[in-house]
Amino acid sequence: MREITLSQAVNEALAEEMRRDETVFIIGEDVAEAGTPFKVLSGLVEEFGTGRVVDTPISEPGFMGIAVGAAMTGSRPVVDLMFGDFIYLIMDQLCNQAAKTHYMSGGKLNVPLVLRTNLGATRRSAAQHSQSLHALVAHIPGLKVALPSSAYEAKGLMKTAIRDDNPVVIFEDKLMYNDKAPVPEDEFLIPFGEANIKREGSDITLIGTSSMVQVCEAAADILAKEKIAAEVIDPRTVVPLDEAALLKSARKTSRVIVVDEGHQSFGITGEIASRINEKAFYHLDAPVLRMGAMDVPVPFSPALEDITVPTPEAVAENARKLMSGEMIHAA
Amino acid sequence: MPHEVIMPALGMAQDTGLIVSWFKSPGDAVKSGDALFEVETDKATMEVEAPADGYLTDVQADAGAEVPVGNVIALISDSAEDSANMTNAAPADAKSAPSAEPLAQETALPAGAEVIMPALGMVQDTGLIVAWHKSPGDAVASADILFEVETDKSTMEVEAGHDGFVAALLAEAGEEAPVGDVIAIISAGKPDAPVQRSIADMASQKAAARQPAQDGGAKIAPADTAPAKVATPKAAPAAKPRADGRILASPKVRRLALERGLDLNRLVEAGHPQPYHAADIEVLKSLPTVPAASEAAAQSRRLTADLPSDGFAAFAAWAADTAGLEDAPALLAGLAGGSLRRDHATIAVESFGQTRTFAVPAGPLSAITPADEGTTTDLTLRDLRLSQISSVALGAEDTPVLTLTRAGDGLSITLECASHHLTAREATSLLYEFAGRIEHPLRHLL
Amino acid sequence: MPSKAKTNIEDYLRMYRQMVRIRTFEDNANQLYLSAKMPGLTHMYSGEEAVAVGICEALTKDDKITSTHRGHGHCVAKGAEFKEMFCELLGKEEGYCRGKGGSMHIADQSNGNLGANAIVGGSMGIATGAAFTSKLLGKEDVTVCFFGDGATAQGLMYEVMNMAALWNLPVIYACENNGYSEYTKTEEIAAGSITARAEAFGIEAHQVDGQDVLAVNELAQKLVARARKGEGPFFMELMTYRYHGHHVGDINREYYRSKEEEKDWKENRDPIIRFRGWLVEQGIATEDEIEAMNAEIKKDAEEAVAYAETARYPDQSEVDMHVFTDIKHALARDTA
Repeated sequence: MREITLSQAVNEALAEEMRRDETVFIIGEDVAEAGTPFKVLSGLVEEFGTGRVVDTPISEPGFMGIAVGAAMTGSRPVVDLMFGDFIYLIMDQLCNQAAKTHYMSGGKLNVPLVLRTNLGATRRSAAQHSQSLHALVAHIPGLKVALPSSAYEAKGLMKTAIRDDNPVVIFEDKLMYNDKAPVPEDEFLIPFGEANIKREGSDITLIGTSSMVQVCEAAADILAKEKIAAEVIDPRTVVPLDEAALLKSARKTSRVIVVDEGHQSFGITGEIASRINEKAFYHLDAPVLRMGAMDVPVPFSPALEDITVPTPEAVAENARKLMSGEMIHAA
Repeated sequence: MPHEVIMPALGMAQDTGLIVSWFKSPGDAVKSGDALFEVETDKATMEVEAPADGYLTDVQADAGAEVPVGNVIALISDSAEDSANMTNAAPADAKSAPSAEPLAQETALPAGAEVIMPALGMVQDTGLIVAWHKSPGDAVASADILFEVETDKSTMEVEAGHDGFVAALLAEAGEEAPVGDVIAIISAGKPDAPVQRSIADMASQKAAARQPAQDGGAKIAPADTAPAKVATPKAAPAAKPRADGRILASPKVRRLALERGLDLNRLVEAGHPQPYHAADIEVLKSLPTVPAASEAAAQSRRLTADLPSDGFAAFAAWAADTAGLEDAPALLAGLAGGSLRRDHATIAVESFGQTRTFAVPAGPLSAITPADEGTTTDLTLRDLRLSQISSVALGAEDTPVLTLTRAGDGLSITLECASHHLTAREATSLLYEFAGRIEHPLRHLL
Repeated sequence: MPSKAKTNIEDYLRMYRQMVRIRTFEDNANQLYLSAKMPGLTHMYSGEEAVAVGICEALTKDDKITSTHRGHGHCVAKGAEFKEMFCELLGKEEGYCRGKGGSMHIADQSNGNLGANAIVGGSMGIATGAAFTSKLLGKEDVTVCFFGDGATAQGLMYEVMNMAALWNLPVIYACENNGYSEYTKTEEIAAGSITARAEAFGIEAHQVDGQDVLAVNELAQKLVARARKGEGPFFMELMTYRYHGHHVGDINREYYRSKEEEKDWKENRDPIIRFRGWLVEQGIATEDEIEAMNAEIKKDAEEAVAYAETARYPDQSEVDMHVFTDIKHALARDTA
């Protein structure tokens, strides 16, 4: 199978959907000629024209609001938010308007838009360009949240997102744009709410999101050498969440670590850990651990930035502790 | 400078040598090459020569003593006197590799029969020596009380168990010795240098002088207990229960314990450190199913009943005359079988040195028949009425045993069995029923 | 179908009816609040009827509007019915939003009303977006964005006007300047000129007397026609007045607004009284006919209120419906 980068995968998904449905358009900063600073959208304006690949001024609330109204009246915008950190700017349009319109109208108005943005630190971009804020939007009823972990997921999830009649927020890991993965040439969609078991194991479950899936896989490799068989699961979407798959794994292994690049506290890991606690309690032989980014603003200095995110070694070390029955916290 | 005379290594498999006889006496002048003593190997006897010129001193072992290979048993000294202080003889290098003298002089023990701290009860693994009744060098007879030891219940006197002389006492009064440890040595011959040690001394020397077995050395404490079967590596010593009484255990292990009817408390009592996880179920399952104390208590049962008269003899005579039942042992079997209150019992009757086994169905005594070959005996009846034996305490055997002995004009009936043969209630009932039948046989038959 | 110039008697009468319907609706809504029958708060449009009616009468059913928290007037003006509106205000199942939006989010999708909005200025993006779709898909519909003078303080307005102007979107920004931003006079919260703000983006801006329904309608018709042709966006500032307080509970308001001022507007500048006079003067309707119309509307409203009061609430099972289009009940999770 051919291998393409995550950037190419996203580009393909958008191009295919825009060919398929003429109401799909892209709106955001530097999306046309520039193809965005990450060059993901290069070539699209040439094919679809500036009417459908629309450059905007630096007006995040403005073009997000326009996208909401456009979506409510018959088109399907893909909003390009250059950095996930800018989500704070558009929260009213995203969370008060887009998320709630279908509900507040008693089901009569739809907002079929996609907000395409990114997450991920360790790029030396400092605190305001390095955040992973998917937990903020996952918290809001009415928004779907997708977290592709490779080029394959990026394409399949994007196509599903565009065809979904609900507002969907997709976060790509900005450090993965050049990472290749096998991606089929033929059309495929990845449904929301369906986790992917990346490898099976019976000793411990590692649940990872986005690039943390790669971290979990690397940790699983380390553990395999120590005869510990880790099961690695990629939920792919956190809203909707494939709870059944996660619970099934937790019951099988009786030990779980959830790894996410959002902050450790009050985030994705806490939600997943909590659901496993509620519904797999009597199968747990160890506390469910959360591993997220440190609860600090992302530091600029590489020496500091790199220690704020979970690493394969750190995941493996926690796994060893759980396997040994060591009491992680004082009783 | 003194030369050491050691018990030589004599063969591949041998780690002690028996001194047959000495050719020289302490204080004698010897020349290098003179035969000093004769030692017996498993193949033959062998003469051991003096290694140097000098005087034979500090003889540690007499003729007849068995000495571990490598032990120093004498010195060739410059003068005829024994060394005042044997610790000068060789440096006690704790870390020295196996050498000709694996143990320094001072740690060498006299040869002799070992007296160990006996096992005193199920739960006890040390004994406190209250007092010695003999001193080093004293003559002692096998049945003499050698020392007193305190158990958790009382003080117990322990016999010497060997004739001879107290060659060494290896613990002091007031010290605690682990069960199985050697605490005294009784030698056949009078020791020249009887030894009084303390456990504290021995412990430090033992630790210093751990050597491969073939070097000999002090007999060491009992083997380490086998490590737990479970892989969970818990380095902590036996843990105490939590002050708040909680057991820290994962939800999974609690559920597993519940499902299997196991009690996590038993892990706590066994000192298994918390928190408990699913793997600890295996530890829990491997704990003894019955608490040790009650097991000990219920090893065997012995009940007695005394009857003022032997009602059976008259009855047997009557049965022979009137009913043609001339087989008295069969009648006994019938009464015994009836006392068991079962539909069918196989009863063995021992009398006059002979054992006959009967199949006893419930019902008339006339239905008793010899038992088939290979049937399991349920109960044995030992008829000792015509012997001089007045009482028995034989302990549990393969089956419960009812023994009849004469007691003046009457009878004594003793029931002995293992705790698993009969419950307390069953044993009581059996003896009650049988005693009643023996006392008034006719009454029970009607 | 383009709107004709309003020389038609029917059209005038309809304009009058719509204004009276709005006023009647608001009077009833206010009563519901005062008699503690309405949950939550609402914001009265009374006094501003000519603005909503004058503009909406220039629009077709396919044209879109976005509304504000003070949205009953727009809703009625764009074609909504009393029954469904009162039901929505009372949270009943038969409301336009199945009771799930309430006064502040009332929407009437079939008539092109994209909804009231509880966030001040919150619907400006939506209106601009609706215009964007119209242009993208080559449609002819125009969008009118209603907002108040207070919303000119929101950054969003400038962002979207900027883009609307850059892309020539068929949107008309209609600023209902009623002199007050909540409890504060407009001149204390808006520096400079409101129309100048639009003009700064090169957007053609007009100011009009918001109490004159004919003037409003005439201007609206011109701008809508031009916007449909692609000449938009446009900006209107309509000078008007709200009789009630900011919301129905804002009853003691003399501290920011004098009773004399209110009286003046109510008696001397009321749009309904004014238009009624004109109708009679023009011979389009007699006083009796007008009275009959008023009575009929009053009766309609009362019946609708009575209906809404006894109508059923949505079933509790609806609480987690309509969160997503494709998940019937959002809270039903796999109990694996």
